This record gives sequence, structure tokens and C-alpha cells, in this order.
Amino acid sequence: MQNNKKQFLTGHEVVVQAALDAGAESMFGYPITPTCEILSGWFESGKKCLQTEDEIAAGFGVCGAVLAGEKSFTASSGPGHILLQDSFSMAEAMRLPVVLIVGQRGGPSSGTVIYSQQEVILACFGGNGEGMRLVYSPSNLSELYLLTRRAFNEAWKYRYPAIVLTDGYTLKIRQNVDFDQFKKIENIPPISLIPENKIVHWPNIYTAEEELNIVLENTKNDFENIAKEIVSFESKEIEDAEILLIAHGIVGAVTKIAVEELRKQNIKVGLFRPITLRPFPKQELDKICGWKKIKKIVVVESSFGQLARIVRDQLAPEIDASFDYLQKPGLGIEPEEVIEFVKNIKI
Amino acid sequence: MQIKILLSGDGGQGIQTIAEVISRAAFEKGLTVSFIPNYGLEQRGGVSLAFIKIGDQEIVYPKFSNPDILLIMSDQSRQRVLEYISKSKKIIDIKDYNFYLQEKKINSKNYNIFFLGFLTKMLEKEKIYLAEEIFLALEKKLSSKPNWEENKKAFALGLSFNF
Repeated sequence: MQNNKKQFLTGHEVVVQAALDAGAESMFGYPITPTCEILSGWFESGKKCLQTEDEIAAGFGVCGAVLAGEKSFTASSGPGHILLQDSFSMAEAMRLPVVLIVGQRGGPSSGTVIYSQQEVILACFGGNGEGMRLVYSPSNLSELYLLTRRAFNEAWKYRYPAIVLTDGYTLKIRQNVDFDQFKKIENIPPISLIPENKIVHWPNIYTAEEELNIVLENTKNDFENIAKEIVSFESKEIEDAEILLIAHGIVGAVTKIAVEELRKQNIKVGLFRPITLRPFPKQELDKICGWKKIKKIVVVESSFGQLARIVRDQLAPEIDASFDYLQKPGLGIEPEEVIEFVKNIKI
Repeated sequence: MQIKILLSGDGGQGIQTIAEVISRAAFEKGLTVSFIPNYGLEQRGGVSLAFIKIGDQEIVYPKFSNPDILLIMSDQSRQRVLEYISKSKKIIDIKDYNFYLQEKKINSKNYNIFFLGFLTKMLEKEKIYLAEEIFLALEKKLSSKPNWEENKKAFALGLSFNF
């Protein structure tokens, strides 16, 4: 596939290709829109594929496969994403390199099968306890490919479970995709997590609270140490910006267009787009907002403020820029709407 | 250059089929294209929409609220796209062509291909395609399936309609 310069692909096809190129050997899944075609596409690839009875079994299937030293993944959405949190918590506890592709749909419950950005908090913090995970938010099909490759690589390199948090629009869209730019990505090979012919006692339950506490502290310290190697973001026009727009995923791409247009109208606006939602590019955002010029932060998203919660939580308390929000839960946002909103802001 | 097309109809009428033909033909021509289907849970009977953008620049966001061309193929879908109607530049509404479809005895199964022919003529006028380019993509998709002759006839009638 990578020999041809441009292909006309859906997001589903991009994910399948990225997983194949990443060296994934198996997928476990239960079909749910908008991720069904990842499962059927993987099945058609001829690789190992198991349609399980539900997402709980799918998630633990992936845990089993990676324990056996095989790159494996699943894909789901909405209510299925909730069920996967059980196995994902175990993956956090045991630091298993499982990979999950989430196609956000509207909620709560079955909601719509189409689109939202309402699974951010679930993807970033959906486990019980306080496990650590990697969460990536692609803004277009090229990034969907790239971040799926990164999810496999970084999950196996750093031994944390990873989620590629995308949405129904990005998965269902069919678009020109250029794979040439990704030829140089190298794969981190899988390793056998349990030595062959050895009996290993590997608990994910502890008798004493002190025992668990040590594991939690170590996991957190490791995560903080690797964060600087993983965090990624895109910024635009921030040098003299007075208004900073923060958005992720496809809304981040839309907001970028709005920034370009607003700049033509001499409005001093910039963009900060987190590409990793966890670890969050906190230091970089603090640095940008710490410049005295930023007077207003506007968080734009297709939810009631899930990204906004993370931003407010992560931003250094001494930063005194005021907040505003453009929120359209379960709905797409067009560049014109962002432009209109920003033009009506009074600083 | 960019053109935005919104196709709407009932599930089962073949909206996604013609959307695929239009966007595939654009891709084969080397244009930048995005096509996003939009429908609910229903396999049949619900409203089916297709948002298509074709141009020579990178396409960032697949949806839009101001189509250059809006196709309406059913009463139900007319209700669904109500908010788009006042913002559309050109509207093709099946209710204005019922007489013609009946006069030419076009089977309702082939209405989508009639309107594909119709759209092709419009897109040719906009200098986006040549009619042969869309026909080639249509042939690739449907020529091995039943009713190809009827579809071919419906396409030709759409293409020759004098609007």
C-alpha cells in the first residue's frame, strides 16, 4: 500500500493499515458503530481476529495476547468503550501494552452513532484507581495513521496501555491520504512479557495497602519521567496572541482554519492543539499562557467541556487569563462558527 | 476552487451509492475530495445524507451548512435538511421532477442514477468533470450488477434533461 503516493481511504481503512504496518498480529472486538469497519477490515486482512461476545471479553482477549508477547488491539465506541474500561484498568495495573481505538459517538448511552467529543474524560480517566495511560487525539486521516503507529510503538516501548481517541466523522470520512511521508517509521518489536517455560506469579491484586502504594508511586514516577518524550501539541500564531483557542481532534483542525481567517482580519488570536491528551502538554501550555499577552483562553469542543476540565486542571494556578467556552455537545463545529464566536469576544 | 454537495434521501434509495461514484470520480481525476456519509441506526426507512467536498486544496472538515448543490430525494429528507435549504445555492428537489420521471417511466429503483446524471450535467457545467469521467466510475461500480441497462438509461435521461 505504501508504494502508491495517494490513496482514497476511509478512517477505518487507515486504522487497519496502520495496525498492520505496526506489526499487530491480532484483534479482538465486538462490533459497534462507528468502529465496525475496523473489525471487518481487520478480518478481511487475514490476520488473527476474534469477534467476542462483548467488549469485556474483547479487552481481556487483548490483555492475554500481549501477555503472550503479541501486538494486539481492539476498537470500540460509546457503551462499548465503557465496558472496555474494566480490562483497560487491568492493563494499567499490570502495565500491559494494549491498544484501543475509540471512535467517539454521541452520548449518554447509545446516543447517536455519528459523532461527538464526549468520551474524552472516559478515555483519559475511565479506569478505577489511578492508573496511567497514553491518549492521542488525531485531527485528520494522516494523523490518525501516524498516531496509531505511535500508540503501538509507545505502548510497547514504555509499557503503558494506549488509546487513539478519534470520532465518527474521522473514521467514516473517505479522503485522499498520502502514506509516503510515513515510510520511515520504525516499529518497536514486541517482547515476551512472560518468559517461556517459566512459572511466573504476576499479581494485579495486593494483600497490603503499602505494597500497592509502592507500585502506584513507581508507575506514576515512570509516567512523569517519560511524559516529556511523549507529549505533543501543535501551536499556531501564538507569538503576539491575546486570545488563545484550545481545541483537539477534528475540532482542532477546524479551529486552525478559523485562526488563519481571523488573523487576516487582524484579530490577535492563536491556537493550541494538544495531540496527546494524556500525558497533557502542560508545561508547553503554561509557557504560552504565562506570556502576559494572553488575556482570554477559549476552549472549543463538541462536548459540555471535557477538554476544558483537563485544561483548567492542568494550567498553572498563577495564570490569570479568563476563560470562555464554545461548546456544541454531539455536534460538529464549522470554522465560521468559531470565527463568529471569537469576533464577539470582548477582552 | 471548492464545491460542496449535499445529497439527501431515504435509506435504501441509493444516496450513498451515487455519493461514492461522484467522490471516486473526483479522486481518480486527481482532485482533493472528502465524502462523509451521515445516517442513523436504520438500515432502511431513515434519512440518509452524504456530504461531499471537491476541490484543489486540502480539505480539513468534511461537513458544511451552505451547500452549492443540494439534492432532495424524499419528503422525509426534505424535513431533515430544512435548515440547509435557505443556505443552498442550487436545489434539486424530486418533487419538481416527478412528472418527468413518470413520463419517461423510470423505475423508482433507478431514481438515484437519474439524479446522478442530472448532477453530472451540473458538475460538467461547473467544469469539475467531464460526463465520461463520472460514467466511468458508475460503470465500474454497477455494470456487473442487475439492472445495469435500466441504470444506464436513467443516467442518460438525467444527463440529457434540459434544466
